[in-house]
Amino acid sequence: MIAILIDGIVQGLQLSLMAVGVTLIFGLGGVLNLAHGQFAVVGGIATALFLEAGLSIWLACPLGILSAGLLGLIVDRTLLVPAYRLHGEERLLLGLLITLGLSFVISGFLDYKYADVALTLHLPTASVNLGGIVVRTSSIAVALISISAFVLLFAFLKGTLVGKVVRSIIQNERGAELCGIHPARIRTLIVVLSTMMAGLAAIAQALFTSVDSEMGGGFTEFALIIAVVGGVRSINGTLAAGLLLGIVNAFASYLIGAYFTLLILLAIVMATLLIRPQGLFARLT
Amino acid sequence: MSELLGLSGIDAGYGGVAVVRDASLEVAQGEAVAIIGPNGAGKTTLLKAIAGFVRALRGEIHFAGRRLDTVRRHDRVRAGVVYVPAERDLFPQMTVMENLELGAYTHFKTRAQRLEFVLQLFPRLQERRKQMAGTLSGGEQQMLAVGRGLMANPRILLLDEPSTGLSPFFVSEMYRQLDCLKQEGLTILLAEQQVPHALGFSDRAYVLENGHVCKSGRSADLLGDPIIQECYLGVA
Repeated sequence: MIAILIDGIVQGLQLSLMAVGVTLIFGLGGVLNLAHGQFAVVGGIATALFLEAGLSIWLACPLGILSAGLLGLIVDRTLLVPAYRLHGEERLLLGLLITLGLSFVISGFLDYKYADVALTLHLPTASVNLGGIVVRTSSIAVALISISAFVLLFAFLKGTLVGKVVRSIIQNERGAELCGIHPARIRTLIVVLSTMMAGLAAIAQALFTSVDSEMGGGFTEFALIIAVVGGVRSINGTLAAGLLLGIVNAFASYLIGAYFTLLILLAIVMATLLIRPQGLFARLT
Repeated sequence: MSELLGLSGIDAGYGGVAVVRDASLEVAQGEAVAIIGPNGAGKTTLLKAIAGFVRALRGEIHFAGRRLDTVRRHDRVRAGVVYVPAERDLFPQMTVMENLELGAYTHFKTRAQRLEFVLQLFPRLQERRKQMAGTLSGGEQQMLAVGRGLMANPRILLLDEPSTGLSPFFVSEMYRQLDCLKQEGLTILLAEQQVPHALGFSDRAYVLENGHVCKSGRSADLLGDPIIQECYLGVA
């Protein structure tokens, strides 16, 4: 049971890494990114291609993450510009359509061009014994990756001026403009950061299972589920929801199987939207 | 006294529909000027046009000898045009100190001495420095909004209805503090429905009705004007 709990926590951390980007882009840009999982897969596939080209893993992974960020930069400065010109619900709606279309294009392109490429990462030893509990080394690695990413993210948001600027825009965009802040520039930064974190999450995923061109949709689903349950403007909430859903996911998969697990997760989303539409943990910004 | 801010023939409004029409006004360096008028007269729209939150459809705005209406709004803040709206637009889940710090965004390196000044002006903010802005009382939030504006090193402060939602005690307190700022030489343009306070505080005033400037003059004279007395001061 403890092994399942650990599995759930680790998976929750890794999914939070994916979902926090959805939260950040929504909070800052007012766009719900339906292609977020596809950005992750682009990071994963790019890493695989760099590895195939003979680069070491220490070079291939950062380059793969940068590739996801570069695509994020391009999309932010081109495809999303018409959405950014609008405000409120109109921006949200156009943003949904644009990112939905983008998710098809990316998935289609990867299926067409790189259907046979997959990223799988193996660690030298499969498992270690920690005080009587056998833990997969991949779990430890993913936990370390996710926790360090979150520590860095929180240090950035709470401790640096730019991070405070990011939070200020999420809390009150006009208030930020009154301070002389230019939200568009910060928004671009956040889109790049978020898509890079998605790329990192895909690499973490590759330590468990291989990441291929077809996984984008699934990643997006999980990221959206977590972001909604956590409160789509709350970063702490996203982390909490990721952990919760990771644990639920691990136990449900173990007890009743993967298909019903997704139903349970979606039921949690629906219950959240009915009872606390602002998100279960929205208070914890 | 030299002109710091000048509006000539400004039309401004939302979605291409002018709320303010053909408004002209000027504010000299070091002056405190009030815009008074009933609800919906266009006072807020006029301030927003100066701050860049509403586009001027016609006319020109000049600030410190330069064209202002073509400048993007975050650059207007940098130039010293700082707007404090009636809604305050604070960052509710950040501390008082963080709010003030972000106010200094455009002049971040020199923030220390302004912070000292703001905390001296509003000692309550000093007491609440670690509290979340969203948990402050209405009066304290207004102090924080003005304080955050001051952190931006304004050359002119555009204040919209600083008395909104405040108890009479806090309104008097706020005007006492604004008076201190005026004594310090800060240029202030104020929109206000509480006409007695606004005229008592300012040097000059413009009366706005239905988007038109229908009267202007020295505040002391307007206080004695029979029409103003009847319409705005409730003296029949």
